[in-house]
Amino acid sequence: MIQKIRVQTIGQPNIKVYRLEGISVKDAKILAEKLLSERINQKYTINQPIARGKVIEIAYKPGVMNPEVVSITKAASDLGIKLISCDSSIEYLSQKVSFNPLTEHIITEEPKTLILKAKPGKTQIISIRNLTDQQLLDLSKDTLFLNLEEMKKVQKYFQKIKRDPSDLELETLAQTWSEHSGHKTFKADLIIDGKEKEPLMTRLKKEALKHDKNIVSAFVDNSGVMDFYDGFGICGKVETHNAPSAIEPYGGAMTGSGGVFRDIAATGKGAKNIASTDVFCFAPLDLSANELPMGCLPPEYLLKRVVAGVRDYGNRMGIPTNNGSVHFHKDFRAKPSVIVGAFGIVPKKYAKKEKPKVEDLIITIGGRTGRDGIHGATFSSGEMTEKTIEVHSSAVQIGNAIEEKRMFDALLEARDQDLIRLVQDCGGGGFSSAIGEIGEELGVLIDLKNAPLKYQGLAPWEIWMSESQERMIVVLEKINLKKFEDICKKYNVEFAVLGKFDGSKKLNVTFEGKVAGDLDMQFLHHGLPKRILIAKKSNRHSGEQSDSRIKKGSWTSQDDRVEQPKTEREWIKVLEKVLAHGNVNSKEPIVRLYDHSVQGTNDLQSYSGTNLDGPNDSPVLRPFLDKKYGMVISHGLNPVLNNIDPYWGSIWAATEALSNFVAVGGNYKEACLINNYIWPFPDEQSLWSLDRSVDAVVDFMKTFKIPVISGKDSLSSSYRSKDGKVIKIPPVLCISVLGKIPDAGKTVTADFKRSGSTIVLVGKMDKNLGGSVYYQVLYPERAEQVEGPKVDLKILPKTFDAICKGIQTGKILSSHDVSEGGVIGAIFEMCVGGGMGATIHLGGVTSSHLRGDRMGSSEVEFLFNETAGCFIVEVENESMAKQLFKNVPFRILGKTKEGNKMEIYGNKTSLPLRDKKKLFVVDVNDLKKVWQEPMRRLFP
Amino acid sequence: MKPKVLVLKADGTNRDYEMSYAFNVAGGNPKIVHVNELRNGSEKMSDYQILALPGGFAYGDDIVSGKILAIELTSFLGQEMRKFIDRKDTAIIGVCNGFQVLVRTGLLPFRKIGEMDVTLTNNDSGHFECRWIKLKVNGKNNSKFLQGIDGIMWLPIAHGEGKFLTDQKTLKEIENKNLVAFRYVDDNGSPTQKYPDNPNGSLNAIVGITDETGRILGMMPHPECFIRAEQHPNWRRGTVKVDGLPIFENIVKFAKENKK
Repeated sequence: MIQKIRVQTIGQPNIKVYRLEGISVKDAKILAEKLLSERINQKYTINQPIARGKVIEIAYKPGVMNPEVVSITKAASDLGIKLISCDSSIEYLSQKVSFNPLTEHIITEEPKTLILKAKPGKTQIISIRNLTDQQLLDLSKDTLFLNLEEMKKVQKYFQKIKRDPSDLELETLAQTWSEHSGHKTFKADLIIDGKEKEPLMTRLKKEALKHDKNIVSAFVDNSGVMDFYDGFGICGKVETHNAPSAIEPYGGAMTGSGGVFRDIAATGKGAKNIASTDVFCFAPLDLSANELPMGCLPPEYLLKRVVAGVRDYGNRMGIPTNNGSVHFHKDFRAKPSVIVGAFGIVPKKYAKKEKPKVEDLIITIGGRTGRDGIHGATFSSGEMTEKTIEVHSSAVQIGNAIEEKRMFDALLEARDQDLIRLVQDCGGGGFSSAIGEIGEELGVLIDLKNAPLKYQGLAPWEIWMSESQERMIVVLEKINLKKFEDICKKYNVEFAVLGKFDGSKKLNVTFEGKVAGDLDMQFLHHGLPKRILIAKKSNRHSGEQSDSRIKKGSWTSQDDRVEQPKTEREWIKVLEKVLAHGNVNSKEPIVRLYDHSVQGTNDLQSYSGTNLDGPNDSPVLRPFLDKKYGMVISHGLNPVLNNIDPYWGSIWAATEALSNFVAVGGNYKEACLINNYIWPFPDEQSLWSLDRSVDAVVDFMKTFKIPVISGKDSLSSSYRSKDGKVIKIPPVLCISVLGKIPDAGKTVTADFKRSGSTIVLVGKMDKNLGGSVYYQVLYPERAEQVEGPKVDLKILPKTFDAICKGIQTGKILSSHDVSEGGVIGAIFEMCVGGGMGATIHLGGVTSSHLRGDRMGSSEVEFLFNETAGCFIVEVENESMAKQLFKNVPFRILGKTKEGNKMEIYGNKTSLPLRDKKKLFVVDVNDLKKVWQEPMRRLFP
Repeated sequence: MKPKVLVLKADGTNRDYEMSYAFNVAGGNPKIVHVNELRNGSEKMSDYQILALPGGFAYGDDIVSGKILAIELTSFLGQEMRKFIDRKDTAIIGVCNGFQVLVRTGLLPFRKIGEMDVTLTNNDSGHFECRWIKLKVNGKNNSKFLQGIDGIMWLPIAHGEGKFLTDQKTLKEIENKNLVAFRYVDDNGSPTQKYPDNPNGSLNAIVGITDETGRILGMMPHPECFIRAEQHPNWRRGTVKVDGLPIFENIVKFAKENKK
């Protein structure tokens, strides 16, 4: 018997529906009044409609975990009522209801029971020993994603051991050898433009490990750990979640966040999450519908849903989201880039995993296993097509942040009681990946029958491959099991012993005593043929999408000269366009949706200033509320510049990331880097640009003597349409910085502090304007044809030192780095924060400090210049500037002033305006409206 | 002797460390206790003087915010709860999710366990909101927890369900008995219904309330996250008044003075 309770909140059109199985109407009434509705603003009915007219009821599909079920069952039990089962759903009065068909469905028939029953599936044997090459490829296509060489290697192995593989074995091999897990491209030998080069991974590691002063652990764990203070380490991990986010942005973003938090929790013996970051790349929001490739979702929808996913997961976890950015480029229409980062803190004694021993237990903890997410790892390694949404719907999962939160609480307590040998994340590839990895040396014996399931009916290989969220693997000595059990009980966390390390050097997987898989660890982990990849430079390395664009280099240096606005009105109009551009406009409405205050650690918040709306460069966190030292997180990326030149675009990204750290007061020597490559499928062209990007990162490490300590590649950002046309998304290198600072009090924000201060530009500026927002809004067809800014790496360390010292000594009152939006964009944002104006004199700016200056450079090229590694700072007066910056290029620009006018004066030789030198005077508040409007409209 | 503070944690509670830190700085002796430890008897409310309900998403805020934990406190732990509030030396503070729990237990505003008279419901904006807001103590409220606090205060809010709502009769009673603790104010210090100064649309700009004894306080903003000046985004712009700490100091002082 199911009792159906409907609850409606006054003034709200939707009706919440609860189905409660196994109780009387009398008990249903008690639950309705005490638990499910509140008389102040809600009414309820039992077993009858609450609203007149037709309703549409949307519920989770059977088998999709509804997180409310556990809570309802618990509260009912506290009230003395025992439910057999229950569910909740929503009735909509509107006839137009949007829902997610991957996880939800319309209820057309009353369910007779809510209990799902099914028989477990069986292990299948798949004959591959006699397959032809074509048959092998057919088997691989759309599910295994292995190439012919790899498939033949598998075939040979099974021919040698004289049997055919089980489905579980084949899936395990495909997962372990997938690009997602195996990083085949990064490990491949390379031939670039005819010359042999070491694998990308080798080059990155080699250089990084030279600079190990701050390294606690790099490249070996789920996150990289850097030395902090008082015996602690801080760690960081950045991940992409592009593929799932492309087809189901809300769930995709949630699982992205959940996964990267687990990477922190699964660092060593377990770290505590203390911050998260989010970086998104989409097509411009005004993209017309007919430009959207088939099977792809519109950018506005993607942005809104991704933000909602991050909000709902991060906020519930109690992990502050305090750094991020949003970028727009038309070629992200085929696949967005959703980059999520997490950062943590861990006592150094627990920062590394201990080696497991024979007889150690392998435990799954947290959520139960369901069919959700099967093939996520292999799926994300493939190109997207118009079929992607249909074929891979099972790759989408529902996040349950509370499940993860209580699991983390329990794990940290177990860690502090020293019960744990190691923790491993159960992410892409599920048990297969997590257990396969940790079992490589000793071998394991697993009985999948022990795995707690969301519902019956899963075949062994499905349990093994499932990517159900909120699960982790813990290894501990048998002797610690009881204490571990007590902790799990305290936190309401479920766990089960899946098996143990058995010393067999094999992956032994059974189900109810029957063998489901029996693979040599040696073959599984080292059988993958090493690739040799060839890359060549092409004229247009960024891909075939540039249909209407003209070949790079066809613009002469005369053509890339930009015209100056002629009137004050024109100047203001240009400036408004730049400030309203998606890469520049205020993201405050998004930031306010994220809990960035939880944990109380942030000493430098995303927004500050008189109206708390002036943006800052990086957060400064005090992980321990009673200690002065802090941790800084920042990042940088520029997909447009990567399109122009992958080397200089990548240098820009790294420079921007490190500048953000320095701009708040960081010393670059106390920073570590995390690099994420989101690249199109590596054909010869894309691999060439990837190689250049890695060269840039290696050179950057060399220059600053700081290491990359973690990273990830996602090399599948291509879309192939039915007619074979390929869209490659712009290559993205996202560099994140993890830094430490001895005194969080000695840091500055970007908002101008006083009127009458001197405004100074510090750093070497390049003349090139290619890829700038200025170009994108005024000359979009040329934006990627002209060269972008090249950062002067010789001068940059000195610039960083000067800024850091100026802040540490309290001489720099405010500071902001120059990035998208240029010099004027930075000054404007500082005015917003300061609630004041500025007078800027450009007299002579074009003569001395631009790299490769040439005749005819104009004020516009200066004001909208986006050379990373330059800073706008506020100091007391000119002589202070001269003293602070005597060893680096700098330029006095003007003064801050009361009121809200930004006044810009140009060269003496400027065009004959009424006031000879005045370029324009503009009200900061007017500009602010233009700058705030786009995201306010989207996130009211 | 530092008064013992029970910082109550359930699945999804996430501001327990900050709450604990605040009581530490204020001179209390806090301990984070999981509700299951009360259920199995390994911890007892009777050993503590102050009960602090921190922010977060207890049990995922399923059904509505704070509901499941409120039921647990009024049913399974109902008797222990009753004994705790009947003592004259005890104090309770609920912040954000903790405030949502307190109204759903019925402890606020009228100390009627299991009977709800006010609610905290979805923000008018329809979404979660994290920002610093201004509030002012209601001078007519006699709670010892609010003593000596005046002028405009700054505190951070971070919630999606913070709109204070009740029927007219109850609202009148709350106002007449001066149970309102703070109100959202605008730049001039006047109570406001205007977004975002009033971030959720709360009736009469109500930020938080006390019971009649003044020993139970519930509020949406997070005083535990403003215990030192650097937690305010504008501490670099000049002197910042640390507005969160005095509340905890008052609670600890009350507990010390009334210790039996």
